[in-house]
Amino acid sequence: MTDHPSRPAIPSEPRQHGVPPRVRARITRYLLALLAFVLIAPLVPYAAAYLGAGNVPNPGAGLWNEVRQRAGPADANTQARGVESAVLINQVGERWRQFRSEMLVPVGAWLLLGTLGFLALFWILRGRIPLEGGRSGQLVPRFSVNQRVVHWFAAILFVFLAVTGLVLLYGRFVLIPILGPEGFSATAAACKEGHNLFGPIFPFAVLAMIVLFLRGNGFNQIDLKWFFRAGGLLKGHPASSGYYNGGQKSWFWMVVLFGIAISISGLILDFGVFGQGREVMALAHVVHGGVAVVFIAASLGHIYIGTVGMEGAFESMSHGYVDANWAREHHDLWLAEMEAAGMVGVEPNALEEVKRHDNIDFKGFGSPGTKAVQG
Amino acid sequence: MFLEFVEGPLWYFSAVVFVVGVLWRLVDIWRQPSRTDLAVPRGSGVPGALRTIVTRSWTAKGFSRGATFHLVAGYMFHIGLFVLLIFAAPHVKFIEERILGFGWTPAPHWLFMVASDLAFAGILLLWLRRLMHPVMRKISTFDDHAAAILTFVVMLTGCLALLKSHDSLRAIHMLTVCLLMVYFPFSRLMHAFTFPVSRAYTGAAMGRKGVSA
Repeated sequence: MTDHPSRPAIPSEPRQHGVPPRVRARITRYLLALLAFVLIAPLVPYAAAYLGAGNVPNPGAGLWNEVRQRAGPADANTQARGVESAVLINQVGERWRQFRSEMLVPVGAWLLLGTLGFLALFWILRGRIPLEGGRSGQLVPRFSVNQRVVHWFAAILFVFLAVTGLVLLYGRFVLIPILGPEGFSATAAACKEGHNLFGPIFPFAVLAMIVLFLRGNGFNQIDLKWFFRAGGLLKGHPASSGYYNGGQKSWFWMVVLFGIAISISGLILDFGVFGQGREVMALAHVVHGGVAVVFIAASLGHIYIGTVGMEGAFESMSHGYVDANWAREHHDLWLAEMEAAGMVGVEPNALEEVKRHDNIDFKGFGSPGTKAVQG
Repeated sequence: MFLEFVEGPLWYFSAVVFVVGVLWRLVDIWRQPSRTDLAVPRGSGVPGALRTIVTRSWTAKGFSRGATFHLVAGYMFHIGLFVLLIFAAPHVKFIEERILGFGWTPAPHWLFMVASDLAFAGILLLWLRRLMHPVMRKISTFDDHAAAILTFVVMLTGCLALLKSHDSLRAIHMLTVCLLMVYFPFSRLMHAFTFPVSRAYTGAAMGRKGVSA
């Protein structure tokens, strides 16, 4: 090979290998754009939905709408026969679950603990309310045998149902750390069976309470004054009252109303074989749980004042008699009625008791319904 | 382990004490010396005995008002307990597997619920009346209260173990059953066997005297 005479020789450039930089840069840009597209493209519908740019249907929405049956189970078919057997997911169940875990459990706990705290504070500040005049030694018959039997019958059932119910509601938080999962499982199983078994007896106890304690439990002006004076619970504010005071009447009507509500809702839950669906069951549970917690909280006050809170109160339900001074300080109008009837200072003679009991069976001693003085 | 002990050796021991104790008490009553009746019998004692066994199942005239509570609550408890004891499904199975070798159709769940509620309500009401009624309270002994409480506890532990999911609950029930069986022959609970004997004895004596009582 020889050099051409007419063309000057061009100095040769160093030879480059591979993709030229410009092409490489372009390819890189394309790849980054593709990557961005792959990453961002799926987000576009969500962004559009978020910005309200348009209706971008979720591919799974139709399926889940059908499953959750938002429009109702009209076109759902199944061979299974039973209440709501064509319902795959019940909306009410989720609302009930939220109510139970976010409302009933925490609010109920605060209510119960708050009531206990209030009673403890009251005990610290006020102490046990004593008999100012001491014991007179004169007894006044107050509650008949049947009234006391029914009261304690209802009380035993109530306490059993309250304890087993609270175990079912709060046992997971309170008992598992103490008993462990296995221990709590056995306890909860026992409480469930006991609660369901004893529950149907409670309506009859409430009914018997209504029959034996209804008379004399109507509110009147004396109760209004009693409430204004806070029932005489604060020192220096004595409050007049008849056979029952405003607080006792309030408790009685709570027992009646809460008892009826808790009985009906409990029977709906206990006997789920009468075609009631989940919606009814969830509603019954809401009523049952909500009322029960308030009922238990109120009962703590009743138990406190009937036992440690007030001297001389417990014996009216244990032996049926109260000291005349207790009656004078807490039920003065009723004591006046009993004095007029010659029933103050009676001896707790068994035969006399039976005689009185048989004569005025199911009416109560010195029932205010028979006298002019009521309260 | 504990369940095996309670359902094994303790159960057999309690069953032996129960059977031997009940038989011993009945034989002892049978062997009690009775006064010789020198009067000429005016009638047979058998009709009087049979009649009294039946007629003492309700209150005599003149006592009905005061005894209504006992009559109603008593039947509630005893009928309920009888159904629970003989026809509750776990009991039928236990009797078949452990005692007789054969069983019978157990009560449906609704009947079990009704029977248990009747029994629980009945025993609670009877025991509370024993505590509250001035005369009943005075004539009651430790045995009366112990028998009532023990029976209630046996019923309660049985119902709490109804789910049959935990051996511990079953063991507690069987333990209380064993306690009851050991206590039974030496307590007022013996009236379950002696009530027809007592009624028949009184009825036969009255029948021989020609008295309708």
